[in-house]
Amino acid sequence: MASNRTISQTVRPVVGFAVRLTMALSIVVFLLMMLLGLIMRMVQGSLLDIPPDLFYQIMTAHGTGMVGTAGLAGAAIMWHFLNRYVRPSVSVYWLFLAFFLTGVVLILAGIFAGGFAGAWTFLYPLPARSGAVWSVHAAFSFIAGLLLVGVGFLLFYLDAARAIVGRYRNLSNALGWPTLFGSEQADTPPPAIVASSAVLIINTIALVVGAVILAITAVNLYVPSLTINPLLAKNFIYFFGHVFINATIYMAVIAVYEIIPVYTGRPWKSSRLLIAGWSATLVMALAVYPHHLFQDAVMPGWMLVTGQILSFASGIPVIVITTYALLSYLHRSEIRWDLTSALLTLGVFGWAGGVIPAIIDGMIVVNKVMHNTLWVPGHFHFYLLLGMVAMALGFATWLAQGEKPGTAMTLSHKLALGGFLLGGLGVVLTFLYSGKESVPRRWAVHVPEWTAPDQLGSVFAAVVVAATIVIAIQYMSRCARSS
Amino acid sequence: MQEFLWLLTLSLVALLAVIFVAVIRQAAMPAAAAVPARSGRYRQPLFWGLIIVGVAVTYGTLVPWPYSPDPRTTDTPLRVNAISEQWSWSVDHTELPLNKPIVFFVTSRDVNHGFGLYDSDRRLLTQVQAMPGYVNKVHYTFTKPGQYRVLCLEYCGLIHHDMIAELTVKP
Repeated sequence: MASNRTISQTVRPVVGFAVRLTMALSIVVFLLMMLLGLIMRMVQGSLLDIPPDLFYQIMTAHGTGMVGTAGLAGAAIMWHFLNRYVRPSVSVYWLFLAFFLTGVVLILAGIFAGGFAGAWTFLYPLPARSGAVWSVHAAFSFIAGLLLVGVGFLLFYLDAARAIVGRYRNLSNALGWPTLFGSEQADTPPPAIVASSAVLIINTIALVVGAVILAITAVNLYVPSLTINPLLAKNFIYFFGHVFINATIYMAVIAVYEIIPVYTGRPWKSSRLLIAGWSATLVMALAVYPHHLFQDAVMPGWMLVTGQILSFASGIPVIVITTYALLSYLHRSEIRWDLTSALLTLGVFGWAGGVIPAIIDGMIVVNKVMHNTLWVPGHFHFYLLLGMVAMALGFATWLAQGEKPGTAMTLSHKLALGGFLLGGLGVVLTFLYSGKESVPRRWAVHVPEWTAPDQLGSVFAAVVVAATIVIAIQYMSRCARSS
Repeated sequence: MQEFLWLLTLSLVALLAVIFVAVIRQAAMPAAAAVPARSGRYRQPLFWGLIIVGVAVTYGTLVPWPYSPDPRTTDTPLRVNAISEQWSWSVDHTELPLNKPIVFFVTSRDVNHGFGLYDSDRRLLTQVQAMPGYVNKVHYTFTKPGQYRVLCLEYCGLIHHDMIAELTVKP
């Protein structure tokens, strides 16, 4: 069995350059988006005064920017490790980046030049019906930008599929299904390939669905007579959005699979359990999205029940497979902690921790009193900020260390890690607390009774920003020195 | 309910943190190169424990069906129509009876809005989406007299945060 056979032990230099550049870009945008998040919390806490139209523009930029950048950083991680096993095209990767950046320019123009503030979820028909706040041209710029970003991602995933199929002959083999169902598999795919295959399948479907609703929304801006059923549009949007944002974590966790074994000396194997977990995740990620529609009582009952059951079930692979495996691999492994291993471990904690309030809100009876309160950003900041972003920063630190374990943690490392953990937990818990207090989500103005946790959340958000700046400076300076 | 969910979340997150800290404290200690053979002994109980909890929670929260009228009463509910548009609510009954089941018929004239029913302590009691082209129903029985509010819970544009209606419940 040639399990985990690599194409070459060292990644092609141009790949290394492209990935380091992408991570530099991602970290800078993450920081800028964190600053926008800090501004929003300060406004809600009455520590800063800006007009509501600007608040909602910032909210739109923050959501779109964070989701897009999480996708970008996740793609860089996935691509970096794919190159260990298969040969994805470097040209397609540059094309992906070009589409992404062009899309970002259009999105920013739509928001800050055109005043578009329809949120990253662009819930139809809001882009076309702003109450005369923004023009259809501004909305079109935003929608077209999203479409270009989506085309870039689609190219990226199609090329990843081509490269994987080039070695494993088909995606069934790449998902490890022969191993799962008991037959011999000559070339067992490593976890990085199993995860990448699941991600490219679900995200290709999601991007196509997203492109359909984006295209209809764009045409509707100029041809109002061309409409779509709003409930169908909502289904499309939440299907696309749910899969895309979850896939960012699925891509980031590849860094955990590939890097943690270097520290523990214990290879992360494609066990039947891991393969089964990813196969289940593939199905559940596609089918769970109706949990975003619990308050649309006209939805078919069976879809709402499916949404609730799969919300719970989706957490099981995270806890029983990935989290459990990480803890088993870490246990008495003689690991020498550095910033990379600590951030990757924190990332898995954040992912598993975020599952808890997410599952709780994934029950219809709970959703009735938690949906669209600040409980929602509470749970998704848990598994995105403390989960996905922590993994991405861990990966960036790994690159900066020359892809080998670093020296013991310096004081600045400890402060950055402690600040990110403490600040992140503070951000999350103040959101969840406000959700418990029924504070609505996406409100530019909060009444005085709501502002205390907002103010505390602002302090914690500032701590996260400071910690991320330290990590960013170290990444940039080390990359600059090594190049 | 919200207080219980908050405490439950805090407890489970704390439990997860304790497990991580316990493993991290031992992670630097020496052991065999391979993962210890007994390290998987908690996995099956954890898996089946989650399955059992999942089945129990699913049954307990879906039966009775959460969208049904209040099962404690057979009274014919009072129909209240709530129509939303940027950025106001039009509610055809703003004075509502105590202890009588009410069914809100909620829709929108333009974009998506959220019908969030709040009590005078700003506690969210129930909600449903207000959608163009659809009528969503939500059942509620007021058991305390006083002032209630409808807040918009789906982002709908510039004055989303000020889209509020007042309701009064009288004995």
